[in-house]
Amino acid sequence: MTQFLSLLLNGISLGAIYALIALGFVIIFKASEVVSFTQGSLLLLGAYTIARLSDPLGFYLAALVGIAITAFAAFVVERLIINRLRGAPVISLAIVTIGVDIILLTELIRRIGSDILNVPHPWGGDSVKVGDVGISQNRLIATIVAGILIALFFAAFKYSSWGVAMRASAEDGETAALMGIRLGRVSALAWTVAGALAGVAALFLVGSPTPGVSASVYTVSLRAFPAAILGGLDSTGGALVGGLLIGMAESLAAGYQDQLLFLGRGFGDVVPYVVMIAVLLVRPSGLFGTKELTRV
Amino acid sequence: MSEATATSPGATRAVPRSAPAPRRSFVRPLVLAILLILLLVAPIYVDEFWLRTGFAVAGAIVGAIGLNLLVGTSGQLSLAHAFFLACGAVTYVFVSGESGGIGLADLSGLGWPPLIGMIAGVLVAGLAGLLFSPIAARLRGIYLGVASLGLVFIGQHVLNSWTSVTGGFNGRSAPEFSLFGFTFGNKDPELFVVGVPFREAERLWYLGIVLALAAYLFARNLLRSRPGRALQTLRDSEVAASVMGVNVQRYKGRVFLVSSMYAGLAGVIYALSIGSIAPESFGLEVSILYLAMIVLGGLGSVGGAAAGAVFVSAMPLIFQRYADVLPFVGRPGEGGLAPGEAARYLFGLAIILVILFEPAGLAGLAGRLRRKGRDPGGGRLTSRSSAATSSTTTDVPSDRPAQGSTS
Amino acid sequence: MRTDVPPVEVENISVRFGAIKALSDVSFTVEPGTIHAIIGPNGAGKSTMFNVLSGVYKAAEGEVRFGEHRLDLMRPFQIAGIGVARAFQNIALSSGQSVAENLMLGRHHLTKAGFLASGLRLPRATREGKRHGERVAEIAEFLELGDKLHTPVGVLSYGDQKRVEVARALCTEPRLLLLDEPVAGMNAEETDRMAANILEIRAGLGISVVLVEHDMGMVMSLADRVTVLDFGRRIADGTPAEVQAHPEVIRAYLGSGDEIDPAEAAAAGAIAHHPSETPGTHS
Repeated sequence: MTQFLSLLLNGISLGAIYALIALGFVIIFKASEVVSFTQGSLLLLGAYTIARLSDPLGFYLAALVGIAITAFAAFVVERLIINRLRGAPVISLAIVTIGVDIILLTELIRRIGSDILNVPHPWGGDSVKVGDVGISQNRLIATIVAGILIALFFAAFKYSSWGVAMRASAEDGETAALMGIRLGRVSALAWTVAGALAGVAALFLVGSPTPGVSASVYTVSLRAFPAAILGGLDSTGGALVGGLLIGMAESLAAGYQDQLLFLGRGFGDVVPYVVMIAVLLVRPSGLFGTKELTRV
Repeated sequence: MSEATATSPGATRAVPRSAPAPRRSFVRPLVLAILLILLLVAPIYVDEFWLRTGFAVAGAIVGAIGLNLLVGTSGQLSLAHAFFLACGAVTYVFVSGESGGIGLADLSGLGWPPLIGMIAGVLVAGLAGLLFSPIAARLRGIYLGVASLGLVFIGQHVLNSWTSVTGGFNGRSAPEFSLFGFTFGNKDPELFVVGVPFREAERLWYLGIVLALAAYLFARNLLRSRPGRALQTLRDSEVAASVMGVNVQRYKGRVFLVSSMYAGLAGVIYALSIGSIAPESFGLEVSILYLAMIVLGGLGSVGGAAAGAVFVSAMPLIFQRYADVLPFVGRPGEGGLAPGEAARYLFGLAIILVILFEPAGLAGLAGRLRRKGRDPGGGRLTSRSSAATSSTTTDVPSDRPAQGSTS
Repeated sequence: MRTDVPPVEVENISVRFGAIKALSDVSFTVEPGTIHAIIGPNGAGKSTMFNVLSGVYKAAEGEVRFGEHRLDLMRPFQIAGIGVARAFQNIALSSGQSVAENLMLGRHHLTKAGFLASGLRLPRATREGKRHGERVAEIAEFLELGDKLHTPVGVLSYGDQKRVEVARALCTEPRLLLLDEPVAGMNAEETDRMAANILEIRAGLGISVVLVEHDMGMVMSLADRVTVLDFGRRIADGTPAEVQAHPEVIRAYLGSGDEIDPAEAAAAGAIAHHPSETPGTHS
């Protein structure tokens, strides 16, 4: 039982990190109907920057700069590329984000090589124990931070003028523009925020129990995509639920690997995608995504 | 995306009247004929490296044409292509491969004729596509992009785990191809053409031409006919297509199936060209590579997909061959970029530039050059008439009054 | 007189988008072989109604009957299959393809060639394509698009594109034709031509036509019957003359205020009715 609880807790904390990445995904989608494939490489950029700057700047400053740089990179992508493609078919936009992802990823992997860079989290690899069940401090803090950020954004979407503007431009860009909403601004802000979220996620992802920045961080971050999809691409709540679901599934599958050997070693790594496909079979718009009004 | 220009009511357009029927210029067939002849005699003059590359490129052409049908023509973004390539390759290797193995690698195989293996590869990939198609059919095009990611990772996991069939992490070798007793290897029979020994590379070259040509023609026919029209309308507006009588879900499922069968064949060719398969050859990077091919070539254009395939396949090899001459490419160990890296930068950049500035890709460029030849004043409008861009429609008519423009 | 065109019976149709009621309890009947117009101020629900008729929107309540079929229960492509065609308000053509290719899409539900037959270019597929291509050319001729068959739709004038829309709808060999603002953005001459075409269609094919239009003059001179919507409700239904004099209608268009003198309103309507004073264009 303790093992189960441990795994569950671990899964929730991992899921919180996924939820942050997925949230960035959803924010971009809600603001501009673009599915951005750059979240993964942006996250790696954040991780790399934090790792490299930790020595000269110390952890906290490096973390701040890392998140800022990731946010800025996202901003640049939006201004230079996405902005010029307003009105283009969504598939072109998605593909262009893949292009950006390729370039960013290639560059980062070249610099990282086969090394594992270290990020000196002040809370190190310590664990917190609740009864018999343990969870790494890193993950605990991650969960708290993620929870706060997600709640903040949920509120912002519903109540702030920025949130309303964002929802309006996603639903009907032309009318929104006619109503005075600066589509460019909304989109730029959305991307910047998504970048920052990726940076925050990166910060925690490279800590205990999976410390170190390596090329595999990218592969791990990709699992946030299923989280976003199965929650519903346009649902912030869905990003949270999706993230948690994926995190828990992955953690449990990895933890019980020995009992699941018939599914292949390392099944935990693909379980997010299996769960996603299973959900999509019954809910093509994701668990909380808005269903299409139109029938075909 | 608005393609048509609006006329203010009453204005006339000074547009040259088009001829009643498309004039059949003889330049195009002539060029194609010359190209074909060159391809046919190539093995006599060209060295083995390029012949082998050519066969691999033929595989890429087949795969790219298939992906283009799905992504370019029908507007369904998919990153699962590598998965279906794997299906084809693994099936071929299993069906035509022998059982047994050395030590740890205990492989099973059916040992059937390679032709059956090839056909089975196509069919199994198609079956996999069919199994996934209910999802593909019901998802909005863009959801499919992310969902298809899943297939690639699941596929690689299976490749790594199902060791008896796939050879696991180390992979397994691919049996030589043969057709009714004629092997595509170095012997059986010994073959000489005008004094030149026709060994494996030469024989596979021709196989590649035949398969690539067949793939090309099939797709071309498809696009010019009823299903092709339905798919293009589907891309532009699912609602409009459905209202016009197209069973959108069925067509989305079908095109996914066709695309995966193309990928299956490409996978078999890949297995033959490398001589073996390994899980790492079927990862996300491969799907993205194919995406780059069709974007570069011009989404929606069959010829473009082929051109893009040639370009993307050749790039890393050219970088490798001419590393000394190219300033930024260095050998492993030295400074500079590895050829693979340099190629990846190029593709990423090319994707971005193409989408930003010339969405119709190489096909669009070719079209523009042709039109420049015919009508130097040629409007920019027509240069975008490749199927890459969407039509002038809002998905669902609203109650807003019609405007004079068609956006 | 055609016997295979049944009336279209719209009964108590309501459409809801979340909390918004786009259509409330709308009913009307389109008699076979007639031209029936749906008019109303902007946002009245006209296009929503069309979407219900085409099967694009699902009605929350009510029924739509067309002969033995229940249109409200069918998917759009099934509705197309039983002979209901639609020309869109904002043009839904494939701008990169030629007029002929766009028109051929209209033949989709009348043809069978599948992926295999088409990819292999089997004789039956090519024969079918040729046969239907001839019919398509006929219909194009009828709408004066014969010489533009091979022109990419994207280079055509707006008016021509609208005609291609209508032609494509005709290519489906419909029994019911839904025209969504067919003369929007056209000048006076094009409007008159289209109006004449619509009358020819009705006379020659004997099919029912439902028309959404803002051009009052055109509506009044073409329509056999008019249904007026406002804020998703039906506020009037009758002959053009009846509807013109209807106080609710006048109020909806001109805004409420003082007592409206029916005689005055009828006189005003009569002036707008005269074709030569049709205000041609609006944008």
